[in-house]
Amino acid sequence: MTATAPAAHRAATAPRGDEIVLRTRDLTKQYGKRLAVDRLNIEVRRGEIFGFLGPNGAGKTTTIRMALGLIAPTSGSVEILGGDIATHRATILPRVGALVETPALYLYMSGRDNLRAVAAVLGGVPEARMDAVLDLVGLRARARDRVKTYSLGMKQRLGVAIALLQDPDLLVLDEPANGLDPAGIVEMRDLLRRLAAEGKTVFISSHVLTEVRQICTRVAIVNLGRLVTESTVEDLVRGSGDFTVTVERAADALALVRAQPWGRGARLDGDGTLITPAPNNRGRELTRFLVDAGFVPDSLAPRAQDLEEVFLRLTDNGNGVAK
Amino acid sequence: MSATLTVSPAAASTATNPHTARPSFIGLVRGEFLKVSRQLTTWLMLLALAGVVVLPFLIALTVGNLKADIQAEPLADLYRFMGQGLTILRVFSGPVLIIVTARLIGMEYSSGTIRVLLGRGVGRIQLLAAKLLTVFLIAAAILAAGMLLEYALSLFVLRAVTGNLDALKAINGTFWADTRVYVATVAISMAVTILMAAAITVVARSLAGGLSASIAWFPADNIGLVFFILANLLTKSDFWLLVTGDLLGPNLNAMPRALLSAQAPGSATRVLEGPLVPVDGGHTLLVSAIYAAIFLAVAVVLTWRRDVKE
Repeated sequence: MTATAPAAHRAATAPRGDEIVLRTRDLTKQYGKRLAVDRLNIEVRRGEIFGFLGPNGAGKTTTIRMALGLIAPTSGSVEILGGDIATHRATILPRVGALVETPALYLYMSGRDNLRAVAAVLGGVPEARMDAVLDLVGLRARARDRVKTYSLGMKQRLGVAIALLQDPDLLVLDEPANGLDPAGIVEMRDLLRRLAAEGKTVFISSHVLTEVRQICTRVAIVNLGRLVTESTVEDLVRGSGDFTVTVERAADALALVRAQPWGRGARLDGDGTLITPAPNNRGRELTRFLVDAGFVPDSLAPRAQDLEEVFLRLTDNGNGVAK
Repeated sequence: MSATLTVSPAAASTATNPHTARPSFIGLVRGEFLKVSRQLTTWLMLLALAGVVVLPFLIALTVGNLKADIQAEPLADLYRFMGQGLTILRVFSGPVLIIVTARLIGMEYSSGTIRVLLGRGVGRIQLLAAKLLTVFLIAAAILAAGMLLEYALSLFVLRAVTGNLDALKAINGTFWADTRVYVATVAISMAVTILMAAAITVVARSLAGGLSASIAWFPADNIGLVFFILANLLTKSDFWLLVTGDLLGPNLNAMPRALLSAQAPGSATRVLEGPLVPVDGGHTLLVSAIYAAIFLAVAVVLTWRRDVKE
């Protein structure tokens, strides 16, 4: 990977952190009696790689479609780059690149002609830029071939190339790893990180939690159209103050701990490891308590939660039932 | 993805500046022409249409008494050449325009590419207008090329059959006026056909649905006359005959005959059946205009109002 001078310059000069690039305000979409999206409020800041998570039917794609002006909200609004999408879509959306669900392509045309067809919408894009995005996604050698001969992964990459065609400020990607092989997923991850480093904002809707864990700075989890949580990944997996304790006679230690006022939430995990809160939430005091009681821990560490575990807990095992 | 991902400086510097870029109507039309031109079926259909236009002239060369006919009534034969040629162009350009229109609109829904275009900030009506303008321009090109071809073929047949072009001396001002009127009726027919295919495809929101329903419209419209005749015979009510006066296909069929001068022989314009009641030129124009307005309104309102879920 090569970071170029213009990219580095832009990364250095791009305002980061405070600027809200995408904001939804009480965004709601109702189909008949069903609320697909229910008063959703999220904020995405410049330079973030923002993960948008939720089980099937949670309202992720509906939200993205409302953000792109494809679906009219029942109420609420979407603001992108400071402008309301309902009134300024013609000036805002050229600054947004999007890949929604499966890549939508003209299968009878070549990869390059697909780029030309989309580029024409905004009055054309130089061939050099098309070469660059084709290089970026590794499709330059197949650019003259008809898209119907492409594999799913290649179509996905062409979809990303189309999204990047006009050097957008905000990139909205719905399941970008779909169809990519492991090497492709790693490269996609690197690409998104580099785009974020250049000051671009990346909004990813994904089911692949390990991917989200690795690349996203913040995530929002939605369920049944409602925002369940919006947080940094770090905070989300930090846990709730529990500690993981490896100790002999764990069952006896558990009984002792649960008898304490601070230890009622203690339990054993599947491996027989003790998971327990600590007195005053301090590991040092937990160690002292256990040693004093004759349970010398082999190891004791704050317990980090897995993102998948958090996701399943917040969305009732991904079944889309509100908690 | 490629083993190495590199952002070249050229890529960054030569990209359209997204901060100033706006959806461009001309660009949209250019993009639509690109899509049409890359479809092999477009070119095959145009080739087939040219073949159909040429065919009657080739057959004319085999008619034994054509030379005597031309020498006896040159104006009548020139009307026949003009009428047959333009009628064939009108009838057979219809399916071509229906297929091009349905594909251009329907494929965006079927392949989901409509969300890529609208997601770039293009307005829905702007996109529909660009597509319609593209097809109208294609129709105009077909009409112009078809007329040129027919003119050249007419000269060729005259020369081949009679050895000279003396028959052209019989042409008078009324002939040219009738030719202009006939060309106008072909253009009206093309326009209504395009709007019909557009409306149906927008309703269907798919290539397959739009194409099949659009292509079935005129055959159903014309064959339907048989059922109206049957209904009239069975019920003894003239209502069924009157209804045919409001059908689009029969009115388009009757339009040239109703608008041309008395000098034009009926055989020059009569190919498909008109309504089962007498209609004048004004009526055929009014019916066509009403259908065109309805088709346009349906296409515009549905495109404007409906969510894009494709």
